[in-house]
Amino acid sequence: MKKILLLLLAGLSLTAAAQHVSVTSKTRLLEGVEGPAYRPVLSPDGSQLLFAAGENGGLKMLDFNSGVVTRVSDTPSAGTDAFWGGDGMVYYVGQERRPNNLVYRTGYAYNPATAQTEVVLEAQHGAVLPVHATRGAALKGSGKSFAKAINRGTAVYTAGAELFITRNGVTRSYTPVPSHAGYLWASLSPDGTRVAFYAAARGICVTDLDGNLLAEIGNYEMPCWYDNDYIIAQNATDDGHQFTSSQILILKADGSFKTALTTPTSMAMQPTAAAGKIVYTTIDGLLYQINISINP
Amino acid sequence: MKLKSIALTLAALCGIGIASAQQPHVYINPGHGGHDSDDRNVVVAPYAAGDTSGFWESNSNMWKGFALQEILRKKGYKTSISRVSNTSADDLPLSTIVALSNASGADVFYSIHSNATGAGEGYRINFPLGLYRGYTGQPQVPGSDKLASDLGVYLLANQSTVWTKNNYDLYGDWTFYPSWGLQGLGVLRGNQVVSMLDEGSFHDYIPEAYRLINRDYCWVEGWNFSLGADRYFERLDQYGLGIVTGNIRDDRLLRAATFVMHGADTRQPVNNATVRLLDANGNELQVTHTDNIENGIYLFKYVAPGTYTVEVTDEQHFGQSKQVTVTANTPTYCNFDLKRVRNTPPEVISYAPVWTDGDLPVACNVPIVLQFNWDMDIESTEAAFEITPPVEGTFTWEDTNYRLVFNPEDAFDVNTLYTVTLRSTAQHGGGTEMGTDFSFQFNTQTRNHIEKVMLWPDEGAKPYTKSLNVEFRTDSLLQSKDLLNLFRVLDKDGNEVAWNKRGVKNNKKGDPFGYIRLPISKELNAGETYTLQIDRNVADTIGLHLAAPMNINFTPVDFATLPQGATQIADGENAAQWEVDGNYKSAALTASTTHLFGSKALQCKWDFTDTDEPAIELLPVQTLNDVVFGRGDTIGVYVWGDMSAHKLQAVFMPSANLAPGDNFEPTTVDVATINFHGWQYVYAVVPTDGQVLAALRLTPTDNRMGQSGTVVIDDVIHLKGSGNSGLNETTLADVVVAPNPATDYLIASASSPIMGVELIDLNGRVVARNAGNYINVSNIAAGNYLMRVYVNGLVSTHKVAVAK
Repeated sequence: MKKILLLLLAGLSLTAAAQHVSVTSKTRLLEGVEGPAYRPVLSPDGSQLLFAAGENGGLKMLDFNSGVVTRVSDTPSAGTDAFWGGDGMVYYVGQERRPNNLVYRTGYAYNPATAQTEVVLEAQHGAVLPVHATRGAALKGSGKSFAKAINRGTAVYTAGAELFITRNGVTRSYTPVPSHAGYLWASLSPDGTRVAFYAAARGICVTDLDGNLLAEIGNYEMPCWYDNDYIIAQNATDDGHQFTSSQILILKADGSFKTALTTPTSMAMQPTAAAGKIVYTTIDGLLYQINISINP
Repeated sequence: MKLKSIALTLAALCGIGIASAQQPHVYINPGHGGHDSDDRNVVVAPYAAGDTSGFWESNSNMWKGFALQEILRKKGYKTSISRVSNTSADDLPLSTIVALSNASGADVFYSIHSNATGAGEGYRINFPLGLYRGYTGQPQVPGSDKLASDLGVYLLANQSTVWTKNNYDLYGDWTFYPSWGLQGLGVLRGNQVVSMLDEGSFHDYIPEAYRLINRDYCWVEGWNFSLGADRYFERLDQYGLGIVTGNIRDDRLLRAATFVMHGADTRQPVNNATVRLLDANGNELQVTHTDNIENGIYLFKYVAPGTYTVEVTDEQHFGQSKQVTVTANTPTYCNFDLKRVRNTPPEVISYAPVWTDGDLPVACNVPIVLQFNWDMDIESTEAAFEITPPVEGTFTWEDTNYRLVFNPEDAFDVNTLYTVTLRSTAQHGGGTEMGTDFSFQFNTQTRNHIEKVMLWPDEGAKPYTKSLNVEFRTDSLLQSKDLLNLFRVLDKDGNEVAWNKRGVKNNKKGDPFGYIRLPISKELNAGETYTLQIDRNVADTIGLHLAAPMNINFTPVDFATLPQGATQIADGENAAQWEVDGNYKSAALTASTTHLFGSKALQCKWDFTDTDEPAIELLPVQTLNDVVFGRGDTIGVYVWGDMSAHKLQAVFMPSANLAPGDNFEPTTVDVATINFHGWQYVYAVVPTDGQVLAALRLTPTDNRMGQSGTVVIDDVIHLKGSGNSGLNETTLADVVVAPNPATDYLIASASSPIMGVELIDLNGRVVARNAGNYINVSNIAAGNYLMRVYVNGLVSTHKVAVAK
């Protein structure tokens, strides 16, 4: 019976190669409940989902088990680069424009268990960047930074055209590939052994923890680890002014395989993945969850 | 692996960064890139399509971005820029640009672009446009509207360009692109930085495209961006240097180009001019040159406040200097309009028409052309122009005022000797007079307007209501371009009746006459008066036009039934009942589905090509003895005409039985001239008693009207009674019979050719007939009569009196 069901679901496969990766389900999230939602971020266990309420709105959180949506912060831009710390906390950055029109950014930590928020990095002018860590969390500021227990694990972030990897309390910067405009979207594989990031004008790169380039797997954006072998990414095109297509891809981290999970006209973007779930939004802010089957 | 830096500790991660707490950070995004499909290439001479040295939006956006980055760094800003080269790979995806902007920690984000209408060359504009995220007045990121408006002040103040409106357009992208929904501009979507996209000018306005190829011009836009940033961050007083820039053009020489130009852009930019910046003591501080690509732009960067002299020199122009005052952090615009060096007096170096006594005369619409050695002063030259005999006309200047063209308002008179004189007071652009008069003569041809040869329907015509083809024939071939628009049919209320445009036919090269045939798209109303309007500008291939516009009234009729009292003598249902006289080979008879009555009609295809046959006769196979015409009876024929100008005649023979070979004297009457399209009812009065119809004859009258064609005959009828045409007698408005009463002659006149006249007494008898337009009544008894005037296939009936 289980085999029959899988076959039926395989028939729903959108664009994935039938023999290798199939989309087994596709579910619209928060339909009729929330307005446009962007920048979804799954918690490591896949039980909760952060998202930006509106394009420049605050930060909200969906609990999959209860179906409850919690307003985390109304601070403008809080939803832009929110992330889950290795300590189970939610970290985000709020910004304010001061009378001299300089923008100041503040680091916050939100505890889902207590719904309490605290300032972890005082307002400062300049960038405040998320640092993804297997344990603890950090926010890298242009001035001061915040770090919590990351020296007990592994942490990664990008700044400019540099990839920073922290291991055992030591942070090193690497430039595995040249990129004038810079690096973005660094993330650690679930097993903490490899780093995926995006180099502008080059695409998605995978390195080991010593910054050695293992693979360049394509000029796609917003990589995130699906599991230790696969990476989910966005493949968008534009005419210089607006998007002309956007879809979600799955790529093997060694660059040996890739296939589309949605069609180019799905306008699917900003994927997040964890614990076997994939969530993405669309250009008009509709959240979808898809599940896939991978036959090695 | 490349180890960029060595061990940093957690403490270092938490340490003090290098960014200045008060140093504004500007993220610069030069739009597009790669000279590829999502780039924008405008082809301007001398660059071919795709030549990366020509105008590409990615080039100018990048140069503006480089300039802005350079200037902002000098002003103490921190900058980031999304690309520093022009490859497809560096044309980053929109999501990437937004993410880079957000991650940079910038305070503001500029996306630098230029605009295009996307419309044709006839619609060219030029002005700056600022866009920010959200609805107009409701930016998604607060401050973005201020960022844009602070920039707009400086873009709009740019005096090196020509703007077509005087305000800076400022919109939210959701308002500006309503059809895009909330998608809006990709580089602003999700961008948390105070941000805007600027369309600095319109690159499909060709003079602007030439400017955007110039890197100095792009640099000035970067400078203006920096001023916008200074204004936004309230730092205008924190930079101590200025710039001097401007545009150098000829003061009056028009640009020889066909693209749209506005304002000062109509004048020729000065290429390769040398421009010097001199201090108060005349010392040269900077020197630069305008380029050779038609923009006249120069620039002096980073000039200390003070008073200077800008000196321009150019081989073909008189030098010029202007004093300028430079203030800190402000653009100083200083444009020059140079006077050309014109070192000889003006003279006419060629002219047209060239004619000398004994040459063939010239066309009556030929333009008079004077070509000069210098660009001329318009006012003094036009004032010095004389033509005798005097002719009203218009002046046109071409070749940047090197050529004067005079076109007569209507046409020159025929067969007239004209003298053209340009008096010595004509000046070139530098103000020097010619010194001596210049004069020439030409003689004109004998024809100065198009003449109408045939028109259907002509004034007073009664065409069939259905499938009306309007046809206008002229004595020369017509220009077919836009010809259709010069013809209109209006109903009685002035509403235009549509043409069936797909069915329009025009003359072609080699045709013996000019014509246009215009099918009307619908059935007309019987009895309603319509007006055909023909514009005076209908022109032939050498440009002659009509002498005057034409307004033709006509009234459609419906031939639904035969006239009362009519006897049908042939119905056309069976083509085998007719044959072509064996003496004539140039016709063939068939049954036609084009018919008025019943289901068929008799179709006669005629072809006089390569024959010298004088006529075609259609004979009834069996003598039509059953219908005997008396004197004054009428023979009526329904004819589908082909505007061949053939004469349709009825040939009669005596009704007495004749044996084969018997001689008889036929009676022939003219029924009509086939000068119409479609169905018409035509008729004639039989002048002799005891006649039966022996034949219908088609006789060519004007072989210009075609060598072949088709006429269709449906019923042929007989109407008894003198002068009974079977139609309601009408008096056509443009037919006049005079004098009335008459003692010697009754004379008819009309706007169309008169085919004949008849005088009918009160008993209906034709008492006089003439193929011309008059009847001698000197021998006709005094009394009241009716006079029929046959004109253009129509009959106009008039009450007249003969007096003694």
